[in-house]
Amino acid sequence: MSNTRHPHPNGEPRASQSDGRPGRNFNVVVLRQDGPGRPSYWERHIVEYEQDMNCISVLQKIAANARTADGRKVAPVAWDCNCLEEVCGACTMVINGRVRQACTALVDRLLQDNPEQIELRPMRKFPVIRDLMVDRSRMFNTLKKLKAWVPVDSYLDMGPGPRQSQENQQMAYVLSKCMSCGCCLEACPQYLKIELERKEGETEEEFHARERELHDRAFIGAMGIAAVDLFNTNPVGRMTATERLDALVAEGGIQICGNAQNCVKVCPKEIPLTTSIARAGRAATVHMLKRWFDR
Amino acid sequence: MPAIRIENWERFLVSILGPSSPFGQHDFIIRRIHSLVGLVPIGAYLIFHLATNAAIIDGVAAYQHRADQIHRLGPTTIFVLEWLFIFLPILFHGMIGMLIVARGERNVANYPYGGNVRYTLQRWTGAIAFVFILWHVFHMHGWIRAEWWISGVASRFGGHRFDPENAYSAAEAIRASWLIIVLYAIGVLASVYHLANGIWTMGITWGVWTSPHAQQWAKIPCLTFGLLLGFLGLGSLYAMVAAEPPQTLVAPDTANIPPAIHASPRS
Amino acid sequence: MARHRVIVVGGGLAGLAATMKLAELGVDIDLFSLTPVKRSHSCCAQGGINSVNSLTRQLGDAEWKHFDDTVYGGDFLAHQPPVKEMTEWAPRIIDLMDRLGVTFNRTPEGFRDQRRFGGTLFARTSFAGATTGQQLLYALDEQVRRWEVTAHVKKYECFDYLGPILDENGVCRGSIAQDMVSMEIRAFPADALIIASGGCGLIYGRSTMSMACTGSAVSRTFQAGARYGNGEFIQVHPTAIPGADKLRLMSESARGEGGRVWVPRKPQDPRPPQDIPEQDRYYFLEERYPKYGNLVPRDIATREIFNVCTKEGLSVENDRLCVYLDVSHLPRQLLDRKLAGILEIYEKFQGVDPRATAMKIFPAVHYSMGGLWCDYERTAEGGLNIGSPRNQQTNIPGIFAIGECDYHYHGANRLGANSLVACIFSGLITAPGAAALVQNLNGRAAAELPSTLYDRETQRHLARYKELLARPHDGENPYLIHRRLGDVMTKAATVVRHNDELDWACEQVQDLEDRARRASLSDTGNWTNQNVIFTRALVDMFPLAKTILKGARLRDECRGAHYKPEFVFPEIHATDPVQRRLEAEAWCDRFVENNRRWLKSTVASWSAEDREPLITYEDVDTSLIPPRPRLYGMVGGDIIEQVWRERGVREEAAV
Repeated sequence: MSNTRHPHPNGEPRASQSDGRPGRNFNVVVLRQDGPGRPSYWERHIVEYEQDMNCISVLQKIAANARTADGRKVAPVAWDCNCLEEVCGACTMVINGRVRQACTALVDRLLQDNPEQIELRPMRKFPVIRDLMVDRSRMFNTLKKLKAWVPVDSYLDMGPGPRQSQENQQMAYVLSKCMSCGCCLEACPQYLKIELERKEGETEEEFHARERELHDRAFIGAMGIAAVDLFNTNPVGRMTATERLDALVAEGGIQICGNAQNCVKVCPKEIPLTTSIARAGRAATVHMLKRWFDR
Repeated sequence: MPAIRIENWERFLVSILGPSSPFGQHDFIIRRIHSLVGLVPIGAYLIFHLATNAAIIDGVAAYQHRADQIHRLGPTTIFVLEWLFIFLPILFHGMIGMLIVARGERNVANYPYGGNVRYTLQRWTGAIAFVFILWHVFHMHGWIRAEWWISGVASRFGGHRFDPENAYSAAEAIRASWLIIVLYAIGVLASVYHLANGIWTMGITWGVWTSPHAQQWAKIPCLTFGLLLGFLGLGSLYAMVAAEPPQTLVAPDTANIPPAIHASPRS
Repeated sequence: MARHRVIVVGGGLAGLAATMKLAELGVDIDLFSLTPVKRSHSCCAQGGINSVNSLTRQLGDAEWKHFDDTVYGGDFLAHQPPVKEMTEWAPRIIDLMDRLGVTFNRTPEGFRDQRRFGGTLFARTSFAGATTGQQLLYALDEQVRRWEVTAHVKKYECFDYLGPILDENGVCRGSIAQDMVSMEIRAFPADALIIASGGCGLIYGRSTMSMACTGSAVSRTFQAGARYGNGEFIQVHPTAIPGADKLRLMSESARGEGGRVWVPRKPQDPRPPQDIPEQDRYYFLEERYPKYGNLVPRDIATREIFNVCTKEGLSVENDRLCVYLDVSHLPRQLLDRKLAGILEIYEKFQGVDPRATAMKIFPAVHYSMGGLWCDYERTAEGGLNIGSPRNQQTNIPGIFAIGECDYHYHGANRLGANSLVACIFSGLITAPGAAALVQNLNGRAAAELPSTLYDRETQRHLARYKELLARPHDGENPYLIHRRLGDVMTKAATVVRHNDELDWACEQVQDLEDRARRASLSDTGNWTNQNVIFTRALVDMFPLAKTILKGARLRDECRGAHYKPEFVFPEIHATDPVQRRLEAEAWCDRFVENNRRWLKSTVASWSAEDREPLITYEDVDTSLIPPRPRLYGMVGGDIIEQVWRERGVREEAAV
């Protein structure tokens, strides 16, 4: 499947048994990269099978072992994780070719599908920091661009928020479960990677400003579109809907969506992203006509 | 004069194909026009065009009659209409479309979902249809209706095969080679798929069908429409290939046809 | 004059609440976090957030009752003024979160819906589906992002806080932090430092806590001189899903809807659970507590499950401790309607459908009631003087502690759905206090101080970092030492505690600490070196581990989550009324005596020379609600309660 230029290390020793039954070992290949701009390379590890393993515990074992299949001592694989129960969104990676959370990628299931090995690689749409760690700050910059918040006057006591229908709450809750994991963006054929190199003599601030500018012009993706949908249906957020709609139809906005609908298929939180995209599309249509005829 | 340096080309390509839009501020409106133009006039014209051609199913005479009806508008009107409502919109839609194709990263191998397959097909059929239409217009129409072009260039390279006075010339041009027949079949099907699926995605883009249920439901009319139009197109193509030459007319002079095309299996 | 800055360490509910409020008050903030703040551990809270509401009010509820439930649930170990103030703020906090867009569940009329939680009779708990913590966190994250856009807040995500910077007077002047990507170590001047780094569950190896909950920020502040309170009070949740990497929470509602806890009578019966007939099943909670059955209070359920596996050897599996939590006898329709969310978690992580097969669960370390010692300023009415810099300030001037890593609000045991409200409350009230502190500084702002102080501290931490990288390669693997530490702590200092085991654990931990300080790194690179971050966090786990163990070893009583079987008060089984009364009187005398000795907060301070915590005790402010026996379903509880009430009446008459 992989369109990478680096061949799998087929010549290296493999775990003799990898059918996933207890007491057996299995193979894990990891696409590693020592840092930004460095070449990537595949590395094979043999992991001892244990009950109830997921890809996080596989990586924990690799870290504790820190040896490749051929016994070479290597630095532990770097990866991101935090909650390990699929609510924090940290541990996104590409597992056997498909983007998902490592914590819910159960080893038993993966070995059922492919007894040969488990293949881990970093997301392709974000700059690699190291190994399986990527820089997803673009997503948070997108949320800034879209003004994805409820613009309250103050944090003083002003009584409760507006009443809301159950229907409205349920819709908002589903959208609000988005944990910025980036799966929808990774699987999106229209979302392209942006990787900048820091220029010589450029300060960190200048670099981030340049990066932010580029992020602001690039595609916001399904997660951004759903955020606009969420805040523009909030009774208070709706009051500033125009600002978010302006951002929605600006450069890098909803128009880039190509309706491949991979986003909704890979979303671990089962957020109805394509519904949001269509609703935002409708809002954008109305907004465009208004801008044309009301100016 | 300094030579154009490679980095500048790279930079140019990145500025066109890189992550940020080549159209800048006007991206949204350009894409919406692109979407709209695909339906009206291009999609509408495709229906009209295939329906017109379908007249040949009833015989060459009916087909000739239909051609006469259209050409009664007169050359100037036709010139304005075809450029304004057909050629320019197709050029616009096709060129923007090619940029859109170039700026996506297809990944159907890793994500073999129905929607992704349709997305990928939409890109492929779009590209195929665009190239096909360019060639098809050259083949039948010749692109430019100036005498120097037609006799000097178009005819010499196998273009301008259609003569409205003798509509049967279209059928002859098509069945000149099995290759042309296959190309026409592919081109027609690609265009039809691109239109039918385009209508479905347009419904999402413009916010007509929003819920998963509605989107699922909307597939039915789009699919039906596509199938009908596909049958119509292929039916016309078959009728073209099978058409009998009109009795009242003399078979056109084939002296100008280059040997490659002339050597059709049917001749 | 330079603008004042405040550093917040930790971007969970407490840290974000403080940041947002400080920004509103016009203070600039540097926000440090190990992870992007949206990925903080607060997102794991499932159940909800407590407050009195207009519905419960009409059923007789009041702030005072929420206050009383919290204090009673915490076995009177919490200072009462902060708890009182928190329960009074709670309704306003929910209103605020509602305004910020939290998607609270709604009634058909459009009001916020509430559910009932443990330790109370009222439906006080507002909730947003099964991920209330996540929803609250996101609302605050969004507000802080808003302040980030206006440049009031600067986020340092993926930065490891290495410790405070104290000037020659012992006043906090900033902090040192390391960029976890570039590994650069930098000093950040600030006029106040707010620690909001959450719990320390990773000391126990696997817990319900996230991987960032190492306690390292707290430990580093503790080692710099801050005191640590009530360390031994660690809440263990009765039902969690064992996993190779983490123990995931299985909400109490599974039992609430009729789930039954059992083990096979034959130890490690190899048959699948659904094939084990009724007579071969041991429903130990139902047999031992006929009245409460599977819904005994959390600490009791936890203890029984623990005992049945360890003492009686009836664990379902041979090599792993667990019991069955069975909902497979319940109608599928009911399960799908009421428990779908949590059953899906089980299915997702275990790959087994709990509707068909019994779930395997075991108690897991869940929450740290203790934390950095911090102050408060009491009003005459017994509340807090809001705006006072004393509130939440540690003993180091300029350092505040909020959220799970402070020691207030929960006493010896936390009530369900109280943690979220405590986190947001402590964050919100610290902001005006910290703002007052920095705006009334007599001396210079930290930004104007000479750089020598900062350079010196940077060099010190840089040296420590270089020492780590330069260690010989033949030492032990820190990950394995961590696993061992987790095993020791889990064995000795969780559900049931014995002095001999605690002594053993103290020795073990000392040994592990020595080994950890010599452990070698498998990665000595200078780019995104997670190995260094982990090893340093591991080394810093030991001061807290020792504090927990020592506090537990010294506290010879049972209180809330701290349970020592040797010090359990006897139940009253006598039937003769006179004898019953005598025993109850004796029981109450013993209760009074025990409180005189032990109703005190444990306060630890770190001795760098001995590498040991020094333990002292502090009186608890129980001036608002006098302590009373905590008798949840105890045999003879009725007569004890009666005797206790009569004593109260007599005392009042005497006054």
